[in-house]
Amino acid sequence: MRVILAEDSTLLREGLVRLLTEEGHEVVAALGDAGTLVAEVGALRPDVAVVDIRMPPTHTDEGLRAAVEIRERWPETGVLVLSQHVERSYAARLLAAGAERVGYLLKDRVAQVEEFLDALERVHEGGAAIDPEVVRQLVVRSTHGDPLARLTPREREVLEVLAQGYTNAAIARQLHLSLSAVEKYLNAVFDKLELRRADGYSRRILAVLRYLES
Amino acid sequence: MRAGGELDSDRSAGREAGRGAGQRIERGDTVPGSAPRRLAGSLLGCPTALLGVLFFLASGAVLGPFLLWPRTRPRAREVLTAGARRLAALERHRRSAFFGDRFPGPYTVSDRRLLRYLAVRSWTGLVYGIVLGLLGFGAVLAVLLVGGVVRGTLGRAELFAQLLLGGVLLFLDLQGLYALAALDARLARECFGPSESELLRRRIDELAVSRAAVVQAVDAERRRIERDLHDGVQQRLVALAMLLGRARRSRDRDPEQADALLLQAHGEARDVLAELRDVAWRVYPSALDSLGLEEALGGVAQRCSVPLRIRFEVAGPLPRPVETAAYFVVSEAVTNAAKHASASAVSVHVSLGGPPGGPLLTLRIEDDGRGGADPAGSGLTGLRSRVAALDGVLRVDSPLGGPTTLVAELPCA
Repeated sequence: MRVILAEDSTLLREGLVRLLTEEGHEVVAALGDAGTLVAEVGALRPDVAVVDIRMPPTHTDEGLRAAVEIRERWPETGVLVLSQHVERSYAARLLAAGAERVGYLLKDRVAQVEEFLDALERVHEGGAAIDPEVVRQLVVRSTHGDPLARLTPREREVLEVLAQGYTNAAIARQLHLSLSAVEKYLNAVFDKLELRRADGYSRRILAVLRYLES
Repeated sequence: MRAGGELDSDRSAGREAGRGAGQRIERGDTVPGSAPRRLAGSLLGCPTALLGVLFFLASGAVLGPFLLWPRTRPRAREVLTAGARRLAALERHRRSAFFGDRFPGPYTVSDRRLLRYLAVRSWTGLVYGIVLGLLGFGAVLAVLLVGGVVRGTLGRAELFAQLLLGGVLLFLDLQGLYALAALDARLARECFGPSESELLRRRIDELAVSRAAVVQAVDAERRRIERDLHDGVQQRLVALAMLLGRARRSRDRDPEQADALLLQAHGEARDVLAELRDVAWRVYPSALDSLGLEEALGGVAQRCSVPLRIRFEVAGPLPRPVETAAYFVVSEAVTNAAKHASASAVSVHVSLGGPPGGPLLTLRIEDDGRGGADPAGSGLTGLRSRVAALDGVLRVDSPLGGPTTLVAELPCA
């Protein structure tokens, strides 16, 4: 796949470029700041943009703002943002327009090379990749908000993996369940969370995340 | 010469007063001048008082009608206050030159207060002259008395009566002179210098400002530490982990590359350690606790990218907060010089001065860079608040084109 990178730490940027190249991807550009990112994406039209949230000049959220803009202007481009730590509102801003072709990973996850590559792949294929840590925190924070408390431990496990953006088949693999068991658990979860069945697959993730955030 | 020195200190006090943090209040207090000098000042007060009286009489006679007539009143007032200001300035100089009074520089007094001061001061000055005249008269009488005793024309009882009366009068006279001198000093202080309550109010303002500045400085430092950790150490660790991950993935595909990656990862791990040590040192140099300021400053010199010459002239131990502040002032000033002023050499002079006013640690940091440091910039503001928190003063002299001199004075009481 064709990837564009925006990451201010030279060390990390170079490492990412090497890693992606080794894995057979094409890095069309590697930028040190978010200023020209949107324009470059417009010009190069990569498949996925990997964007660090915190970049110069203010080191706050310029990467995220650029990512949101890319998502608005080129919905077919996947966006994977990297964050220093879990920021619920950042995740919410990123997901506000839907959970297709989007990822939110903690920077440390990049070090788990497989997980990073896997997330990149999922974003490229049109899915979502939410950092397990983000999901875990959201779930923990929402347990007092009642409906979640009604889930059984297994249902909660399934929900957590689902929220990270995995497909039913992947969930089944990860939790060593049959596909039909996963579907059964998910139906139970959606029932308990009072989510309408008519929603499409990726809508479910969005719905879950939004629900958890509320 | 001394008068000049006093004026200089007045001026610098005025400069500092406009600065907010880091300012130091110059009290209207008196550094005791020598007795003959004070006597000369008091004597000089008589003619100036006479001048004042004459000024009031003359201006009253000449300007009186104009002052009464509404249309000419403003102009007449202007003339009156201009003259009064000149006379008041004369009084002020007399107080500073002969009595060592230190008044805050640009102290603007209302015209009404100025005129009142001048009026009261003129009359007390005249009374001082009269009382002084009485002392002279008494001296003449004493001489006559002595003459009488020598010639033997004075009876024992009469001599005793004269001595008793003269003694009482002398006592009263001296008492009067003393009281009038004290009154003179108080009037001057009330007019030119801030009153006690105003000093107190200013001190409270100053403390509030420095407290806020300290909180801000601490926050800024926390942010810097966070930045150092996240944008430095964490990135390096992620890169390191990524190298290891890549090595692991290429182990089967390309063992040679895996070896190269491991080698790279090893080097990276060492770099992370060095960076971590650096960050920890920037947070707080442990040498400061165990080995003292001189050693810690030596560490700064080692880390510094430009040649740094340190002259350390402090004999005794310093209070811990002063040591810490001194360390950070030097280390940040040196960093600034190397980073922003592109200096090629920096010299630091640390010295401990003696009283008056308690021991004072003076830090003088000079570089040969291009100057033009912004005193309101975040770096210098941070330093200033650090110094202000200890009631110290920070002075920056950094003309465009350099060189930059930074002087910090930290009281060690």
